[in-house]
Amino acid sequence: MSNAYIDDFPAEAKVVRTAFYSSFLALALGGVFGVIQTLHRTGYYRFIDSADYYTVLTAHGVFLVISFTIFFLVGVFTWAITTSLDRGVEDLRFTWGWYGLMAIGITLSGVAILAGFTDATDISASVLFTFYAPLQAHPMFYLGLVLFVVGTWLAGVDWFRSWWAWKAENPDERIPLPTFMVLTTMLMWYIATLGVAAAILVFLLPWSLGLVESVNPLLTRTLFWFFGHPVVYFWLMPAYMMWYIMLPKVSGGKLFSDPLARVVFVLFLILSVPTGIHHQYLDPGIAEGFKFIAMTNTMFLLLPSLLTAFTVVASMEHGARQRGGEGYFGWLKALPWRDPVFTGMALAGLMFAAAGFSGMINAGMNINYLVHNTFWVVGHFHLTVGTAVALTFMAVTYWFLPQITGKALWSRSVALGQVVLWFVGMTFMSNAMHRAGLLGVPRRTAEPQYDGFEFEAAVGTMGELQAQIALGGILLTLSLVLFFANVVGTALNGRSDDLPANEYAGTLSGPEDAPLVLDNLKLWTAIAVVLVVFAYTFPLLSIIDRGGLFGPDINPFPVSLETVHLLAFALESHVTGALESVAWLGVNR
Amino acid sequence: MRISKAGLLVVLALLAPLLVELRTVLSWINVELTVLETAVVGAILVVAVLVWAFLPENGNGKTAEGDASSEN
Ligand code: HEM
Ligand SMILES: [Cu+2]
Repeated sequence: MSNAYIDDFPAEAKVVRTAFYSSFLALALGGVFGVIQTLHRTGYYRFIDSADYYTVLTAHGVFLVISFTIFFLVGVFTWAITTSLDRGVEDLRFTWGWYGLMAIGITLSGVAILAGFTDATDISASVLFTFYAPLQAHPMFYLGLVLFVVGTWLAGVDWFRSWWAWKAENPDERIPLPTFMVLTTMLMWYIATLGVAAAILVFLLPWSLGLVESVNPLLTRTLFWFFGHPVVYFWLMPAYMMWYIMLPKVSGGKLFSDPLARVVFVLFLILSVPTGIHHQYLDPGIAEGFKFIAMTNTMFLLLPSLLTAFTVVASMEHGARQRGGEGYFGWLKALPWRDPVFTGMALAGLMFAAAGFSGMINAGMNINYLVHNTFWVVGHFHLTVGTAVALTFMAVTYWFLPQITGKALWSRSVALGQVVLWFVGMTFMSNAMHRAGLLGVPRRTAEPQYDGFEFEAAVGTMGELQAQIALGGILLTLSLVLFFANVVGTALNGRSDDLPANEYAGTLSGPEDAPLVLDNLKLWTAIAVVLVVFAYTFPLLSIIDRGGLFGPDINPFPVSLETVHLLAFALESHVTGALESVAWLGVNR
Repeated sequence: MRISKAGLLVVLALLAPLLVELRTVLSWINVELTVLETAVVGAILVVAVLVWAFLPENGNGKTAEGDASSEN
């Protein structure tokens, strides 16, 4: 008999396992759509209709950044709460309840998206994962998202309940670090999701049901980004949690500083939300001053990430020296590179450093104009959510699988190959995406055309950039195949009773060194709310003032070819009109 | 061997970003490599790393410790 998670918490292990398998299903679907669109865009293999590209892209985005990431993190959080408080969930039926709600929700949204591929129904939701109005989805899409988010809210309630029950029994103890991380992340999430809940429930859902005539697109966009920036921290904070509490352990050492880890999570709680406008630097209708405030907050938000880089590397060095590593850089050799859990997380962290640099460029109001809506941005977030988060999740899966299934990992070597292959594939794909973006190559475009006229790429040619993207995409897909081989292979293994114990890293400087005020969650939540009020009240008021709550009349835009033709016609007459008047001016000069 | 097999794999993987970025950086000083030339440079680097890795350490042929030892 071993001391794995499944031995101590069999019922909870089943919940975590189910959440993980749901997440992997989404990853598989998302990956398939990813390679389809990569080959389509780059022109190597096109078998879908041009218009279907956007259905594929919506599926890729939603399945990966909503279902894959969030199902995985609710599993991790359930594990973290039960393990660090050393108690099962308060009410198992409630736990399955929120899982069920999330599953139903994402199924509704997913079906609405996939229905866009067939003409058999008029259901579709090819609105991309940002669902900007006037793009309009079938009500089922919005409803599903709402249920999914409500499911995560209830999950948070579940974890808070565990903590309250634990606190009643341990009134004088500090909140264990993993629980602290879960609670601060959820508080941030509650604030953040108010934006998207308002956008959907008050505006988009009634609009797609035909209850209201129109919406104010700038308002719904702004509410989307109120949620859209912090959601990236909802993905990242569980990855950070893994870097703080698992990476030091697998490196053979301890977490360098528990207080610093708490500071980082508090900073994320208070700074994640009042920054969303940095996605709207190019939106007309929001005054420059508000954008400047968002930029300032964003730059502050770099701080917790830099603190994380410091603490994590320090913990790794500590671990390496415990293992006999020596010298300025010699200790790097003593790290457990053979362990896919370690190597995957370390490579994910390294790519995140690169992502930090491209992120700073996105965040700068003036340089943003250069890269806005180009392929650069896609390159950037495949390093952040697509690698820092996704690769960390895949790497820790190799530790979690035995814990939640009670079965030994199918193959450690395949796992190591998988994480390294992801790193190499993403290097090729994202490097070329960044460079293409600098040349103005647009994102979200089925068939960008660069043939038949002269277009100078800064280094090499356009064709080479396309080839590099396709190469990267194929390596990433292979990496996913290896990942699933391991997940399935492990599931098919028999029970093992020789599994590592369910533990996370100890600390060099523990919670006793952290000021008590850090655990005052009410205080930090209050500060977070005040900052949000400061950052958003005036922009929102001025948007409503100018465009109206429900906007000027706009026409909904279900994506169908007829509308595209109509639009093309409108554009054409517009452009010819403009050209004619220019010509007229020229003649009369 | 100077480093473990896994360490070698990671070092080789790290050549990928080095190589793709090198091509851009060289262009700043007006050295423009074609894809083929970049691939050749890459192959040379790989061979160099392999030769370094398989050379015996200080001639006494002992394997690197550290991650060759067992971990969880
Ligand atoms: C097999 C691996 C992957 C490949 C080949 C791939 C490829 C791509 C490509 C080419 C695009 C841009 C399409 C365009 O703008 O026209 C894209 C967009 C995107 N990808 Fe991936 N990707 C992969 C994995 C991931 C992962 C793991 C995530 C996140 C966890 C992710 C999240 C996204 C998102 C959010 C978008 C933007 C969707 C939108 O613009 O609405 N991708 N992907
Ligand atoms: Cu953002």
